[in-house]
Amino acid sequence: MATGFDASRLEALLESAKLLQSSLELDLILKHLMRTAMGRLVARRGLLAVRKQGALRLNLVRGAASLKAGEVFDEAQARAAGVEYLFCIGNESEPVGLLGIGGLVGTMQAEEAEFLQALLGVAASVISNAQAHDEARLANTMLDQRLQELRALLDLGRGLAATLDPEEVAQLVGLTLAGRWAVGKYAVAAFKEGQEPVLRQKGMDLSHVAGLQEVLLALPEAQLVQNQDLAESLKIPMGSLLIPIRTQESQIGLIACGPRMRGMSYREADLEFGAGLASQAAVAFENAWHFRDTLARQQLEKELNLAASIQRDLFPKSLPVLAQCDIAAKNRQARQVGGDYYDVLPFVATGPTDPHMLVVADISGKGISAALLMSIIQATLRTLLRRESSLLEIAGVANELLHATTPVNKYATAFLVVMDPATGACKFVNAAHNPSLLLRASGEVEMLDGPGLAIGLFPRRTYQEKSFEMHPGDILVLYSDGVNEAQDAKDDEFGTDRLTEVVKANAGEPAEVIVERIFEAIDAFAGAAPQFDDITLMVVKRTP
Amino acid sequence: MLALDGFLDAHTAPQFEETIQSEISAGRRNLIIDCGKLTYISSAGLGVFMSFIEELREAGGDIKICSVAPKVLQVFEILGFQSLFDIVDTLPEAVAKFQEGGQKG
Repeated sequence: MATGFDASRLEALLESAKLLQSSLELDLILKHLMRTAMGRLVARRGLLAVRKQGALRLNLVRGAASLKAGEVFDEAQARAAGVEYLFCIGNESEPVGLLGIGGLVGTMQAEEAEFLQALLGVAASVISNAQAHDEARLANTMLDQRLQELRALLDLGRGLAATLDPEEVAQLVGLTLAGRWAVGKYAVAAFKEGQEPVLRQKGMDLSHVAGLQEVLLALPEAQLVQNQDLAESLKIPMGSLLIPIRTQESQIGLIACGPRMRGMSYREADLEFGAGLASQAAVAFENAWHFRDTLARQQLEKELNLAASIQRDLFPKSLPVLAQCDIAAKNRQARQVGGDYYDVLPFVATGPTDPHMLVVADISGKGISAALLMSIIQATLRTLLRRESSLLEIAGVANELLHATTPVNKYATAFLVVMDPATGACKFVNAAHNPSLLLRASGEVEMLDGPGLAIGLFPRRTYQEKSFEMHPGDILVLYSDGVNEAQDAKDDEFGTDRLTEVVKANAGEPAEVIVERIFEAIDAFAGAAPQFDDITLMVVKRTP
Repeated sequence: MLALDGFLDAHTAPQFEETIQSEISAGRRNLIIDCGKLTYISSAGLGVFMSFIEELREAGGDIKICSVAPKVLQVFEILGFQSLFDIVDTLPEAVAKFQEGGQKG
């Protein structure tokens, strides 16, 4: 090949070739090539272009300010910039590169041209090698990136599996993304009806997004914020990455990552990674919330059971036996513990002919609070019965005491009767409770009612004491609204007329049987409809 | 100076985060994380570094990282952390970095 070369040229060629071959760095190789060419030819202008993604692009430019590195090589432009000679690097039909030379002091010597051709022959293979090496390195980096993504997802998956705390889910998701993309500003927000919103944020604020359902629903899987309106409505910087967190049914949150540092941008693969991570997060949030619900439900059930047992203990184990009186009572709680209460309490003395108080009450609220209020009312009545002589006084003082010692939303409606078994004389006060039913032996029906507000509602005295007498064969029925308001499947109510009918039809039966018949009638009426409220009944029959 | 030992992954990252948070709450702004015994770091682990760096730098402080094992260092490099943090070979070098002043990134 280099037959015409003298010894010095041959030596220079060998040295250059060795230098070229010692490096795999494309930049170093090209710079060396450029230096050698310009030096040998004493040229003031030079350019080197290499093939990249199918096009020859300028890589090095010397002494030609109009040409810019990175641009696609254009022969006319190069000529105009004073590049006079062009040499292909490698195969002429598809060169790996191009060397341009211009601004020579003299003209190009044939020997120098030949030297250059020989050098470019060596350079062609060296450049190809370096490019292949670069590509391999790039592929390796990409592979490392993908591997790191997989590791991150795996690590996060393990971490999420170990937690049932929504706050911790947000923390892990945030940390993983911040680490994956080296971003210092990020936020994770998740929300669901009936759950505390979850918010974890560094350097940006997403506390307002729960109210932006419509904006969120319109977001695609994952996207870069390049729209000023969107950036403003969500109050996040342009160039942030937005990833919605969705379940199959709904939008449950949003992840935002600030712009990447050092001018790096998010790639397509990053959006995919983010979407994958968000779907993991969605499952984890749902699980954590579900767990919380279950826990809360168990807690509630525990409380209801406790309330139910308190309530059961407050009902009298057995009713006192009073002269010429046949008394029976029954309470059936609804599934949710309500606050019905009944009792028969001695006024002072406990003998069968001593006056007693009959109570049926309905206490506000449900659960523990109702059960506690019930016990307060019972204690209050017991205390007052010993102290006060008149029913009106007892009702009035009980009202004042309860109003003073409990919150305003705690009160009870009650029907209070004081009966003297010796004579059959009765007095009653109705504190906003249902009227009581009095069925005379003659078949005549009286509804006993009186004015007044629920006990504990207002500090004023609003009650009125009324009297009646019970004679043998008369039946008095005290009941809670669970009786007359019991509903069937069509939402019709049982009502007092049906109640009266049942009592009339069973007037000859003992009090206990009458109570059972009423319950049976209510159940037959309600059919499959669930019992919404406590049902409480007290039946007093005056016997000869 | 905080020293990491073993695995820094999704399990242990929250604990590391709390530790850094308590250092910052105690008024410390210049933190050196010694990774001499760190054998593995995940993205969540690196997320802890990112979670505090802006806050610390705004307050005039910084996080310097030292004594990173090659396998761990590779992860730092893949995710571009060496351009954001001063990562040096030894603890004295990290101290020296603080004395030089200046922040990366």
